[in-house]
This record gives sequence, C-alpha cells and structure tokens, in this order.
Amino acid sequence: MAKVAVAAAQGKKALSLLLGKCVPCVKQNASKIRVQHFKLDTNLNMYYRENSFFYAHDPQALCKPGDTVLIRELPSKVTRLITHEILEIVYPLGDVTDPVTGKKVVVGKYRDDIKAEDKLFGRTESAFDYDKAPPRGSQEDKRDFSHRETYTKYHEDPNDPQPYAV
Amino acid sequence: MNVLRFVPNVICSITKCDGYVARYYAFKSALKIKWVRPEKIPFYKPEKTGDLGLNLKVTSKDFAGRFGESKELQDANEVVKKLFTLEYLPEMETRKMKRNEAVALVRRHELDWGSMEAKLAKMTAIIQDMQKTMDKFPRNAILKVELNELIHKRKKFLGYLRQWDYKRFEWILEKLNLVYKPYPPKLLPVTRKDSLRKLTQKHCDEIVQKKLDAYKAELTLKQKQFFKEKSEKLAFIRQEELECELEPTITEEEIQEAKNKYESL
Repeated sequence: MAKVAVAAAQGKKALSLLLGKCVPCVKQNASKIRVQHFKLDTNLNMYYRENSFFYAHDPQALCKPGDTVLIRELPSKVTRLITHEILEIVYPLGDVTDPVTGKKVVVGKYRDDIKAEDKLFGRTESAFDYDKAPPRGSQEDKRDFSHRETYTKYHEDPNDPQPYAV
Repeated sequence: MNVLRFVPNVICSITKCDGYVARYYAFKSALKIKWVRPEKIPFYKPEKTGDLGLNLKVTSKDFAGRFGESKELQDANEVVKKLFTLEYLPEMETRKMKRNEAVALVRRHELDWGSMEAKLAKMTAIIQDMQKTMDKFPRNAILKVELNELIHKRKKFLGYLRQWDYKRFEWILEKLNLVYKPYPPKLLPVTRKDSLRKLTQKHCDEIVQKKLDAYKAELTLKQKQFFKEKSEKLAFIRQEELECELEPTITEEEIQEAKNKYESL
C-alpha cells in the first residue's frame, strides 16, 4: 500500500485492471464496458449496486455485447472517452464452459450429454449441430439486432430505414 | 443583455423589452425539419413481432393427422377421401398440422416436443395463426390478450436462449425466420417535442460531419505539396548543418520517407 501511496503522491497512477460486461455501443473502434461495484449507504448501512462505464479501445471488435471482459487502463488516453483497452474475454455470452471439466455447458447439461440423449431417441437431421454452426455474429444486422440499443420509432422517413427502431 | 447580440436567427421570437427578455408562447425553429409522426402499428402485426413467415407445406388438400397412413382410406372412394382432408375438417386440424410441421423443422429427435427449439417453433406457428385470426376479428379481446402474452413469452424465451447458447439462438432465428430486437431501455410514448429534438440533433451532427469531411478533403489535397516541401526543406537543413560542421539532427531516412510519401501520392 505504501508503494501505491508514494506513487499517488508523485502523481503516478497505477494501471488498474477491471472486470466488466460489454454493453451495446455505437462508437467505432471502441467497446463500452459496464463495471459494477457496491457502494455503502451510510444512512441505511446497506450496500447498493452502482455502475460505472468505461470505453475500451477495441479496433478489431474482439468483444461483443454481453461478454464478460477484463480491461486495463491505458498509460495515456486514446481519445477523451477511450481510456482502457481490452485485455481478455473471460466469459463470452452464450458459450459457457464448465471450469472443472472444461466441457461446454448449456444451462444444466453438458453439450455432449445432450447429443448422447438425442442419439438414444434417434437424432433427426433437423437437430442443431454445434460442429457445423458458424461463430456468433452470423445473423447480426440480418435477424439479430441485439448488438445495438433499440428505441421507439419516432420518425417516418423512407430514406432512413431505422433498423434498430421498435 | 449583451449576450443577446449573438442570438442566432433561429430564435426569432425572443424580443427585448425595457431590459427584460420576453418570449412568445412558443417559438418555431427556422430549420427546415419536417417531422412525420410514425403510424401506429398494432402490437400483433408481423412488423412488430418480427415474424417473417414460416414456409410450411400444409395445404387444404392434405389428409388430417395420420389419416394419410391409413390403408382403408387409400382404397375408399373420392367422397370419403375428401371428408378426411383438412378442407372438410375443423380449422383446428390445420393448425395442429402446421404446428407439427414447424416443430419438425427444428426438433432434436423424433419424440422431441419440449426442448426450447420445439417450444419456440410451436409458439411461432400458433402466433402466426392467431395473427391471421386477429386480422379478421380485431375486436376479439380474449384472443388479443392471449396473443400479446404469447408474443412476449416467445421474446422472453428467445432472450434466455441468447444467454444460454448464442449459436443455437442464431440458428433458430434463421430456421424460424424470426427477427429479434431487444426491448428498448425506456418505453416512452412518441412526442412531437422529443422527436424534433432528436431530429435537430441529427441535423446538427450531419452538418458537423460534412464540415469535417470537407476539411479532411482539403487537407488531403494539400498533402502532395506539403510532402514535397518537407523533403526539400529537410534536405536543405541537413545540408546546412553538414556545411557548418554540426552534428546533423535530420537523418537521410527522414528525408527519404517524406520523398516516398510524396511519390506515393
């Protein structure tokens, strides 16, 4: 702690790591990360959840909305808003891995078990196959519009299709 | 009050009277923004629910249920055969057939009726049938409530599936021909004032972007001349420094870099 205090006194800032969740964002080359923390309400002596948002530099679009990511503070700001960078995607959304066995999980079952169960009943051709499935993002902007925040349609304009309007 | 000197023409209805500012009841923006209120679409319409339609093969000439497999019916005369087709049976039979076909599109195995995919397929087939009925009888309140609940339930389930298994979620959207849009963070009614504010903001953003683009283009045009001058000046400085027997602050590479950039442009 002493080192941190000395560094702070010298005006140096420790590069911090934060764990957050990626949220929909319209900014290019950046991802918006929501970091949750608890704040003590001294009046009620209870902790309340608070959100803080960070913009992380992400030119390759590594993380997608919903992913849990680790971000690191940059030594210098890229822009006025972009202060962090993406370090690692810890938990991708909708692709859960069991930490003990390392197998893929869907809700309460292993994917392998689901497949084995289907085989016992007689697997049909219509069943979903993980091996043939493309990575996340195949339906983005076609049928899946969940990567952006939606809004109530407020204007009628034939030149403006407004795909994210509800 | 000196501030008012710089008030743009947009706010034309603000006047100065004896030292205080008076404003008319409501002033109009001079910007030529035309706002068209979006037409209200009933909640059950496919545009709202995201149903792009299932391509099902069930026709009124098909036999209902498993009557098609019956040997007796194959030998029966035409009138009897007709009586077992969907055309001459209650509407419910057609709906059942459609539902079965929709489930067959996505089911995991022959007996699958309860997996999330099967549930979503069933719901989709039912919703699309209900939508047609709703068009015929728009004042059927019970149907309206049931349909509304089912649409929201399907959306909720799709949201769950998205969290559990993203690949399967995308696959099911493709298979059932659905569009998924999450709920907006705030479900507010559309108002004139708010919409005009948004449109004005959009208009301002466009102006800023246009100016930025124009400036960028202007600078790009000047780049060629700039790099030419840069290489010449750097060469001159280096030459002078060498002649004065000073240690040169500019390297040959820097000059070459500027030259290369000039040539590439």
